[in-house]
Parts: sequence; C-alpha cells; structure tokens
Amino acid sequence: MSALVLYDDELDEDCYRARLFLSFLGLQARRVVVDVVPGGEQDSAAFRAVSPAGVLPVLRIEGQAVCGAEAVLLALAHGRAEWLPEGAVDFARVAHWLQFAGGPLRAAVLMRRASLFAGAGDEQSARRRAAVAALRIVEDHLAHRRLDGGLWVVGEGPTVADIALFPTVALCRDWGEEHSAYPALRRWVRAVRALPGFVTMPGIPDYG
Amino acid sequence: MSVTGDGGWYPLMLSADLEPGTAAGSTMLGRDLAVWRDGLGQAHVWDDRCPHRGMRLSLGFVREGALACLYHGWRFGADGRCVHIPAHPDLSPPGTIRAAPLRVAECWGLIWAAATDESGTLPEDDPALAAVPWVPVRSLRIEAPWQGVAGAIGLPEGELAAVLDRDVDGRVLAALLPVGEGACMLHLLAAEPAEVARLHDLADWGQDVRARAEERAGQVFLSGAVA
Repeated sequence: MSALVLYDDELDEDCYRARLFLSFLGLQARRVVVDVVPGGEQDSAAFRAVSPAGVLPVLRIEGQAVCGAEAVLLALAHGRAEWLPEGAVDFARVAHWLQFAGGPLRAAVLMRRASLFAGAGDEQSARRRAAVAALRIVEDHLAHRRLDGGLWVVGEGPTVADIALFPTVALCRDWGEEHSAYPALRRWVRAVRALPGFVTMPGIPDYG
Repeated sequence: MSVTGDGGWYPLMLSADLEPGTAAGSTMLGRDLAVWRDGLGQAHVWDDRCPHRGMRLSLGFVREGALACLYHGWRFGADGRCVHIPAHPDLSPPGTIRAAPLRVAECWGLIWAAATDESGTLPEDDPALAAVPWVPVRSLRIEAPWQGVAGAIGLPEGELAAVLDRDVDGRVLAALLPVGEGACMLHLLAAEPAEVARLHDLADWGQDVRARAEERAGQVFLSGAVA
C-alpha cells in the first residue's frame, strides 16, 4: 500500500473517526492539517481541488482521494472482516448504522459545531431535539443489544459501525448533553475506550 | 413500600450500570451527584464537586480505591477525605479537605441515595420487594415531570418505586428518579425468572411510557433530516 495521506482537522469529530480507525488498525498516515476554524480552509480552491464538496476528512489511499468519514471507514475496512463483517445480515446492519451516522446523527454533529464555534448551545431548538432523538436511537439500540448479551453495535466485536457512531456520542457534552441520561451509551463508550490503540481528541477525557 | 419522595431515598441508577472502578453522574432534584464504585464493589455517592476547584467529580476516574478528579488529580477515599495531591506527593492532605458523601444503599438491583441525614426507612428494610431477585432491564431519561410519569405507570401516591403488575407480563419493579422539575429517569427491572423476550418487551414498554409522557408534556424528540 502506498503512503496514506489524511486531510485532517484536530477539532472535527469526522476527522477523529478516521484518526481513531487508523490508530485501531495501527496504520500511519501523513497528516495535512486543514484549518477549518477560524481559517475556513475547507472552502479554499486548493482544498476543493481535493474534496470538491469541501467535506472532511479526506483520505488519499492508493492515489485515490476518499471524502467523508463513512467512506474513509469503508475504504480502510475493505478486506478486514473483523471490522466489516462479510455475512450478509451483519454487513447489512453495519450499512444501516453507517447511513445513520451520515444522516440522522448529523443533527448532533451540527449541534456540537454550533455550540463550540457559533455560540448557540442551550436553546431548545429543533436541531437540539433532533440531536437528542438521534442519541436516543443509539441508546435504545444498545439497551436492547445488552439484553441479548451484546456489547457492540453489530455482532460480537467492534466494527466500523461503532467507530462511525463513537465520536458523536463521546462528544455530546460539548453541546450540553450529559452522559448520565444514557447508561447504555456510557457502558459502550467505556468498551470502545478500552480497545487497543484507542486515542482521544479534545473534549474526550484522557485518564492517562 | 416505604420509600417516599420527600426527604427519603432516591433511586439513582441500576446497580448493573455502575461497574467496579468507574464513576458516573446523576442528578437528584437538581442536585448534581458523582456516583462511583470502588474496587471492592462498594458504591459511593457524593456531591458532584471537587473541593479543590469545583470540577465535576463524576468526570473523574477511580484509582487505588479512591476517586480522582479529572482536573488536577486530587484523590478522595471512601470517606470523602483527600488522600493524595499529585502536585504535592509527599504532603499528607489535611482532614478538612473532603468531598461531601451522601448516605447510600444498594438493593433490588438499584443504587439509592438519601437526600438528608434524617431519611426514613432504609430501602433494605422494605419487605415488599425483598421476596424475589430483580433482573435489570434498562433506564430511560424522560423529559417530563416525574409526577406525571409516576401517575401514568401506576406508582402509589408519593412513592418513587413500586412493583407493578400491568401492561406487561409478569412483575415489574419500576423506580423513578426526579432529575429536576421537568425530567426524570425511569429504571425498570423484571422479577426472576425472566425470559429474554420479556426483557425486550419491558424495554419497549419503557420507550412507550417515555413517548407518551413527553407528548403530554409537550416535549417531542423526533429524529430526521436537519439543516
């Protein structure tokens, strides 16, 4: 495999999805820093030449630029059955949660960005309600998984579905949502944190 | 049962949701609490405030039988007294530096805290629930006043926990933590023996209770596309 290149913003939870998975896989990537706040570099002509929609992260893999967290996770997971199950049912489940991470869960991603970078944290907006609702969907899923003896989002071990969901859940305090309201998520967050190769980002406590 | 809402014992969380060596947050009638379990399995409940700089202790971590604050690493032992200050490792911290412990009880698969030192009957002393082991199902956060939820699920007036025998098969222990004026946590447990399918039904019933209570309270949380 030729050298991996990651276009990365330290404070962006989507970029953290990619960094986290790279770390779990023990892979190194050359890091190109994109200054989103306050630089706005995601809209620069130079970056749009790499990522036409201005989407972060971008992973250059075998010369191909892959844009967006879920796409990066899939590209890295290709051929690794432990992270991307090959069985039809579990593969379908992972696909379901990747779509959820890129769809309804965006409400929580946007909520965090607004709170951190636009000073809009505590209002009872439609966006906040949609963000809480998205967290609840994951909470409810994991509460039911637990009753079956399951710890992970899909199957018997961590998959890219866990990595796609983890940053947004772990960072929800950034927009004022406490983990005490989500016991199933709290338990799962601890499990992800305990995986070999786990790395944090600003906003996720590092117990040392 | 004798657990009452005023000045009594409050069900903070399921015992199963506090693993040994971990800390969690809870809120009891607006009072923020740090709940942690030491390596021996004993649960502790303190006000969620480090005596040093006011940091939330619930964000801390358990080391060597003590709860360590995430901010500067000050450690507090089971009695709340500071036992270690990393910046002054040779100092024996004075006994006046201490976290504020609450009375704790653990029974029926739940962790309870007393709001005052004069709280009445200990939860362990209640005979109504001692007869059968309880299997934890789940807890749900409900954005609605606890009184409305208590009435909807059939808790006796003024009680925060009771055995229910309705809506779902078999006996259910429901316990309600008033988080604040407009929010509560509903804890659900099933009487043994409990088949897995029944536990799922009970978890679904909890989601149904949550949806209906929030609708009555005008709090609707719908996921979907947002801009």
